[in-house]
Amino acid sequence: MAIIERPRELTAPSVISPKQAQGNFSRPVQTTGWKSWLFTVDHKKLGLMYGFAAMFFFLVGGTEALIIRIQLAQPNGKFVNAQLYNELFTTHGTTMVFLFVIPMAAAFANYFVPLQIGARDVAFPRMNAFGFWCFLGGGLFLYLSPLLGGLPDGGWFAYAPNTGPIFSPSHGMDFWTLALQITGIASLTGSINLIVTILNMRAPGMKLMMMPVFTWMILVIQFLLVFAIPVITVALFLLSFQRLFGATFFDVKAGADPLLWQHLFWLFGHPEVYILILPSFGIVSEVLPVFAQKPLFGYKFVVFSGAAIGFMGWGVWAHHMFASGLGPISVMVFSITTMFIAVPTGVKIINWVGTLWGGTLRFTTAMMFAIGLIVEFTIGGLSGVTHAVSPSDTQQTDTYYIVAHFHYVLFGGAVFGLFSGFYYWWPKIFGRMLDEKLGKVNFWLMVIGTNLTFGPMHIVGLQGQPRRMYTYKAGYGFAGWNLLETIGSFIIALGVATFLWNAIKTNGITGKKPRTAPLDPWDARTYEWMTTSPPKEHNFDSIPVVSHLDEFFHRKYAEDANGNMVKVATAEEILADQIAHADKHIHMPSPSYWPIVLAFSLPIIALGLIFSTYLAIFGGIICVMAGYGWAIEPSTADPSDFDQSAGPSTEVALHV
Amino acid sequence: MRRTTQPSTAVRSQTVTTVRDVENTTALVSPKTPRGLVLVAGGLLVALTGCANEKQSTWNPSGKYARSIDNLQEPIFAAAGVVGLIVITAVIYCIVKFRERPGHDSIPHQSHGNPKVEITLTALSAAILLVVAVPTVNTLFEITNRPKDTGLEVTVVGQQWWWEFQYKTPGTEGIVTATELVLPIKTKVRLSITSRDVIHSFWIPKLNGKRDAVPNRVQPLNMEASEPGIYEGQCTEFCGLSHANMRQRVVALTAEDFATWVANQQKAVAKPAADTLASKGESQFISQCARCHQINGLVDDKGNPQNSKADEQLVSGAAPNLTHLMSRSVFAGGKFDLMIKDGTLLATECKNATAPTAAGQPTGTVNPDKCLNRPDLEAWLRNAPSVKPMYAIQNKDKLYRGMPNLNLTEAQIDELVAYLKTLK
Repeated sequence: MAIIERPRELTAPSVISPKQAQGNFSRPVQTTGWKSWLFTVDHKKLGLMYGFAAMFFFLVGGTEALIIRIQLAQPNGKFVNAQLYNELFTTHGTTMVFLFVIPMAAAFANYFVPLQIGARDVAFPRMNAFGFWCFLGGGLFLYLSPLLGGLPDGGWFAYAPNTGPIFSPSHGMDFWTLALQITGIASLTGSINLIVTILNMRAPGMKLMMMPVFTWMILVIQFLLVFAIPVITVALFLLSFQRLFGATFFDVKAGADPLLWQHLFWLFGHPEVYILILPSFGIVSEVLPVFAQKPLFGYKFVVFSGAAIGFMGWGVWAHHMFASGLGPISVMVFSITTMFIAVPTGVKIINWVGTLWGGTLRFTTAMMFAIGLIVEFTIGGLSGVTHAVSPSDTQQTDTYYIVAHFHYVLFGGAVFGLFSGFYYWWPKIFGRMLDEKLGKVNFWLMVIGTNLTFGPMHIVGLQGQPRRMYTYKAGYGFAGWNLLETIGSFIIALGVATFLWNAIKTNGITGKKPRTAPLDPWDARTYEWMTTSPPKEHNFDSIPVVSHLDEFFHRKYAEDANGNMVKVATAEEILADQIAHADKHIHMPSPSYWPIVLAFSLPIIALGLIFSTYLAIFGGIICVMAGYGWAIEPSTADPSDFDQSAGPSTEVALHV
Repeated sequence: MRRTTQPSTAVRSQTVTTVRDVENTTALVSPKTPRGLVLVAGGLLVALTGCANEKQSTWNPSGKYARSIDNLQEPIFAAAGVVGLIVITAVIYCIVKFRERPGHDSIPHQSHGNPKVEITLTALSAAILLVVAVPTVNTLFEITNRPKDTGLEVTVVGQQWWWEFQYKTPGTEGIVTATELVLPIKTKVRLSITSRDVIHSFWIPKLNGKRDAVPNRVQPLNMEASEPGIYEGQCTEFCGLSHANMRQRVVALTAEDFATWVANQQKAVAKPAADTLASKGESQFISQCARCHQINGLVDDKGNPQNSKADEQLVSGAAPNLTHLMSRSVFAGGKFDLMIKDGTLLATECKNATAPTAAGQPTGTVNPDKCLNRPDLEAWLRNAPSVKPMYAIQNKDKLYRGMPNLNLTEAQIDELVAYLKTLK
C-alpha cells in the first residue's frame, strides 16, 4: 500500500485539444451531437448513458413486475398463461439484477468516483466505453429473444437441469446465458478500471482513509466483481456448452450432479447480493452526513465493515441451498457464517443512526430516501437473519417470505439508495434542481407502495404461499393479501412515474423555467462539489490538494476560538481559487471508434452461436478487426505529451 | 442414486454429543419461550396469519418436527421484531429530536463517532446472534437425524408435475401411490426423496420443512403427524411449466385406519364384469392409457399382463400408478379434487353405508358413485394439457412431458370413467 499512498506530483505542460490524428487511422473528434456520445470515452457521458440505459431497463423490469402482480391479484388469474408467467419472472429478476441495479450503480460509480477522488477520467477510458457498450449490447441481446424463439423461462437462478436443452427447449435460455456472459464482460472491465483508478489516480494528499465512503464502497464492490464474475462465467460456459454443443455438465442421465450449478451460481450470486446493496450503502453514507450536517459516525467502522461484508460475503452462499440436501454439517456451518455477516451489516445501521444522532437534520428528498433505506433495509436485514436459522429457513425458503425479504433489501435498500442518489446528485450532474415537492410525493408513494407490496408477502409466505407460481387456489388465505400487494405495486409505479415527470420537468419542457442549481445546493462535504455543475469535461481546472476527510467541508468551515465551526469560505470562492490556479496543460483522452465496434461484435458472435456458425465467424472477424483497430489507433495527442521527464502523472495513464 | 447426504456415522455421533452438551447450557432460549412475548413483538404478524386460512401455514405445526421448527422460529421472530422496533424507534427519535428548527443556523458538533458505543453495540449484536446460533444448531440436528424408532419408510419421487410414493417398510412393500401420501399418526416416518427429471421440493408445512428432490441424489426427510387429517403442501422448487400445479398432501390416519388402507392397497384389482361399460373402459384403458399408467395385476382379454412402458413415452419415464385410484382424494398432481368439488372429504354423503372412519378419511370407503368429481375428471380425459399446462407435444426424442391430448370420444370417456370407478 505504500506506493499507492504516495501523493503524486501533478505535471502541467502546455494545453492540447483533440485534433485529427497522425497515421492511417483517424479518431473521432466530435464534441457535440450523437457521434460525441457513440464514440465518447468521457466517464461522465458514459455514466449518463449507463444511467439512462439502466433506467430504461428498470421500466422494462417494472412493467414485467406489474404484469406478474396483475396475474396474481386474484386466485386462478387468467391475465397471462403459465409459460409467459415463467418467462416474466425470469426476465424480471434478470433485468432488475443485471440490467438495472448493477448498471445504475455503475452509472454512479462512473460519474462520481473520478470526481470524488479528483481524477480527470478513469484509468482506461476506452475500456470504460467498451464496458458500457457490452452492457447495453448484452441487455438488448437478451430482449431480442422474444423475437427469435422465446424469452428465457428457467428463472434468473436458472437451476440445472431445468434449464438444460430437454427441459427448456426454446432458445430463451441460450439468449439468457450469452447475454449474461456479455454483460459480465462489462462488469469485469468496469471493475478492473475502477480499481486501478481508485488506487492510482487520487488527488494529491488523498489517503485511502480520506476517500469518500461512496468511493470506498465502490472499491469493495469492484473487488467482489473481479472475483465473482469469473465464477458465473464458468457456470454460464458450462450451461451454454451443454445447450449449444451437447456437453453433459448438468445432464442427469450422464451422471451429473445438478447441485454443481447451484454451488457455482450462488458462489457468484451471494457476493452479487452485496454488489447490489453496497453502492446504495455508499450513497446514503454520503447523503446522511450532508443533511445531518455532521460527519459520518464512525467512518472507519463503516469502511471496514464494508470490507468485512466483502470478505464474509464469500462464505455464506450455501444458505440459498438449505433445503437442497447439503447434509446437516454443511448447513450448520453456513447457518453460523450467515448469522455473523449480520454483524458488519448491523454496524452500518448503528453508524447511520449515530450520524443522525445529535445532528441538525434537513429533510430533503435525498435525506428522506436515505432514512427510508435505514428503516426498510433494517426490516429486510432482520428477515434475512431469520433465514440464517436453517431449520426455520426450510419452512420459508421458496415462499413469498423470501420474496418479501429480498425486495425489502433490494427495493427498500438498493433502489431507495439509488433514488437518494438521484435527488442528491441531480444538481451536480445536470446543473438543475429536481422539484423537492414532487420529490416528497415520489418518496411517500414509494414508501407506501413498497410496504404495501412487500409487507404482506411476509404473511402469505409464512402462510405457505410458494413463489414462482403463475396461479394459486382460493381458500388458502392468500387472496386478500395478494390483491393488496398488487395495489401496492401500482403505487410504486406511480412513485416512479412521479420521479420521471420530475426529471423531465427539469428540462424545461413544461414551459416553466427549471431552477438552475446553485454551486453548492446542499452544503455538501465531499470533493465532487468543488467543481462546476455540471462538471467540465476535464472535471477540475486544477486538482485541489486533500488534507482532510470531507475536504470540501473543511475548506468551507473552520473552528473559531470557542471551538465552534464557522463558515470561512463559500463554494464560489473555493471554485474561483481553483480556476485562478488552472492547470496550463490539461490532457484528456481522445474519443475512439473501436470500443463500440468491439462491444457490438459480441452479440453478433452470440447470435451466431445460437443460429449459424457463419454468423459467429462474421462476428469473430469484426471482433478481431476491432481489436486490431483499438490496438493501433494513434493518439491525437502531441508527442510532447509523452514527455516522461516531468515524472509520473495521471495524464499518462489516460492513454492506455 | 449414488450419493446420500448422510454424514459418516463417526462424524454424526460426535456431533450429536456436542449438540446435547450445548442443549444443557441453553435453558435461556429453550423452545419454551412464553407466548406473551411472541404476541407482543411479532404479535401483529402472528395475529394476522392466525385469522386467515391455515391449510398450508407454517405457524400451526401438527407434528414433532414442524413443532420443533416453530418453537425455534417464534422466539427468533420475536427477537427480530424487538431489534427492528428499537432501530425504528431510534430513527423516529432522531427525526423528531434532531430536526432542523427555524432560526437554527449554527452547524452541530462535528463528532466523528464514539468507538466505545460502536464496539459495545457491535459486540451486543454478535452476542445476540451467538445466542440464536445455539438453539438453531440444536434444532437442526434434532430434525435431521434419523430417528431410532422409525416406523415407516417411504421413497418419494418427484417428476414433472406430480409426486410418486413407494412404500418400503415390510408389510407395506409394493404399495405405490401418487400425490397423496398416506401415513399413520404418531409414527416417525423417514422419507427418501429423489427426482426423475428436474429438481422439485417436497414440502408439507405442518409436518416439517422442505427438502429438495434432486435427480441422482436420495435425500432424507423426517415426518410425523400427531393428529389424523389432511396436510397440504406444494412443490416449492421451480420445476418448469406447471410448477404451480404440482401439489401434494399427507393423509394421516389412525393406526387402525392405516391398517385398513394398507390392506385395501394390497388387494388385487377386480376385473370388471364382461360386457359392461366398465369392461369396455378397461379395453380403452389397455389400448390408450396402459402405455404409461400402471395398474397392478391388469391383464388383457387373453390374460397377458399389461405393464406400463412409460420410459418409452415420457421424459421422466413414469406416470401415476392408478391401481387404487378411487382411494385418493385428488388427481392430476393435486390440481383437481377427485372426490368432491368443495375439497372436503368429511361430507357423510360421500360415504358408503359402512361407518365413517374416525377422521372420515378415504380408506376405501368412499363411494365414487355419489362423490366422483366427474366434470373435472372428464375434462382431464378430454384434453389434459388444456386444463393443466403440460408439454403435450413430443420432443425430438419422441417423448412427452406430461399427459398429451388423447383425442378420446365422449363415449370412450364415459367408458373410461366407468372403469376408473372400479379401481377402489
